[in-house]
Amino acid sequence: MNAIILSAILGVIMMFSGIWVNNKATLRWIALAGLLVLLISNIAEMYGYRIWNVNVHNMLYFDRFGLLFNSVAIGSTFIFVALSGSDINRVGKYAAEYYTLIFFVLTGITIISVYTSLLMLFLGIEIMSIPLYILTGSDKRNLKSNEASLKYFLMGAFSTGLMLMGITLIYGATGSFSIEVLNNPAIAQGVSFLEITGMLFLLVSMAFKVSAAPFHFWTPDVYDGAPGVFTSFMATVVKAAAFIAFVKLFDARMSYSSAVVDWKMLLCILIIATLLIGNITAVFQQSVKRMLAYSSIAQAGFMLFAVFSMNEMAKEGIIFYAVSYSLATIGVFAVLLKMKDFTFEGYNGLAKSQPVLAFANTVFLLSLAGIPLTAGFFAKYFMLASVIQTGHYLWMVIVAVLFAAVSVYYYFRVIQAMYFKTGEGETENIHPGFKTGLIILTVIIILLGVAPNLIINFLYF
Amino acid sequence: MSITVVLFWFLTALALLSAIMVLLSKNPVHSVLWLIVVFFAISGHYILLNAQFLAIVNLIVYAGAIMVLFLFVIMLMNLNAETEPQKNTWLKLAGAISGGSLLLILVSVIRSATDMTGRTAQVGEGNIGLISNLGKALFSEYVVPFEISSVLFLSAMVGAVVIGKKD
Repeated sequence: MNAIILSAILGVIMMFSGIWVNNKATLRWIALAGLLVLLISNIAEMYGYRIWNVNVHNMLYFDRFGLLFNSVAIGSTFIFVALSGSDINRVGKYAAEYYTLIFFVLTGITIISVYTSLLMLFLGIEIMSIPLYILTGSDKRNLKSNEASLKYFLMGAFSTGLMLMGITLIYGATGSFSIEVLNNPAIAQGVSFLEITGMLFLLVSMAFKVSAAPFHFWTPDVYDGAPGVFTSFMATVVKAAAFIAFVKLFDARMSYSSAVVDWKMLLCILIIATLLIGNITAVFQQSVKRMLAYSSIAQAGFMLFAVFSMNEMAKEGIIFYAVSYSLATIGVFAVLLKMKDFTFEGYNGLAKSQPVLAFANTVFLLSLAGIPLTAGFFAKYFMLASVIQTGHYLWMVIVAVLFAAVSVYYYFRVIQAMYFKTGEGETENIHPGFKTGLIILTVIIILLGVAPNLIINFLYF
Repeated sequence: MSITVVLFWFLTALALLSAIMVLLSKNPVHSVLWLIVVFFAISGHYILLNAQFLAIVNLIVYAGAIMVLFLFVIMLMNLNAETEPQKNTWLKLAGAISGGSLLLILVSVIRSATDMTGRTAQVGEGNIGLISNLGKALFSEYVVPFEISSVLFLSAMVGAVVIGKKD
């Protein structure tokens, strides 16, 4: 509860600081301080210190899993603002409002990681989405940004409608919003058609939110059209949070086999389609930003394995995947935003002109591809090992490894451009602090790639 | 047949007919006017279910505010038959098939749902829809979501200012 209330309050503080503080750099420092306070308060809650004791009427349950994810999300946002804060300030005039909206997104994220009532799920998803629609369209002079925002809003509203319809049907069938009732084995295995239809609607709307194929059509346009900084935020922290909600929602559906619907098979189709479309389309992209959009679809396919296998290892894995994927993608985007040209050619010769950027970018891309000694390797390892642990569906592991091999191709195209092609590698002015930030992020990724338990141990102590 | 049953069937027929008319009208302004009739019919249903508060809110918010917005947008955009974009036939076909399948599934679910049999609407009884009971539920059991929704509205307001303000 600390993080939920505090992030809303900090959002309001950011909003009012826009009146008195005119210097954008100061606003960034205020936001960083706020995020630090938020992080500390959330870690304190993991150790049992609560600032507010609110009677939540069983609508939220603060377990270790959800709280650990909150810390991960807030920590990633902190790194995101620290690295790309100057780019947020460049988007438009309303820097204070952008930070406000980011804090409100965090409110939504901290709700959907601990919800136990479908009502809270709906509110959390909406609080998370509405600021994003605005951040997508924040580059008001740019037509692509406007189009992306409108598209995202319309599609998002439609999927929210489906979600509400699903919740209504579930309420009609079970008479309750609680996911404890929903995840009750008798109901999960039962043949209440209303409840099954409701869950199907929820599956569709959640698949939309995590941009799983065939509900991914909005992703490339929105990620490409939005200002790059906000794409970075959307593709990492927000997407990972939607996965946490997904895992909590479908816990019992995957654990017990139902007589009527083969949920595992449905998820199977989603995963294969997502991996196929994400990886194959990414290969043909000419712009690195658009390639990253498709790669985020492909990575979502991997994260769906956590929903699919649903055991202890999957739950450890999804948190670890969230960390490694978020950090690496935030890093790649931070470098991308400093480039003058977003195509692959723009990266030509970057190793000569900016060796530190090129090296850090290489580590981030290797982590996304899942090469050993980086965090991405263990992230993929946990996902695949959790599927093997279920004892069936070994063929899915083989398919996933094949697609991971495809992904190496398009990640390495960037590395190849940076190191083996001649060019200017033009960038904006690079601040020494930015380089230090990149090096720290690189060290974190390699450290997690050597000792993944640094994160996972927090689940049990 | 008692008066409530007669009213129920009358309102149902009215709602369905005007919903179909919303789709069939060529003129968008007529569509919006038919939509208002739908909302009135549904509000009538709410009153039959003894949910006065919901009925009034439905009229004020939907039939009132939102419909005025709809009309404004349609009149400002000056939509008419000539400017209507022509859609691809395949697109129309795909839409009809997917929408039709959803309808088929929903109808079959409701027909075969065991949890629906024996449950009828509590016409004229039940008092959860009265304002006092609704208020009590909202401020005791559902107080947390109620308070949290304020963050939602605040973020929407901040967003409206960010998008709408002149640079």
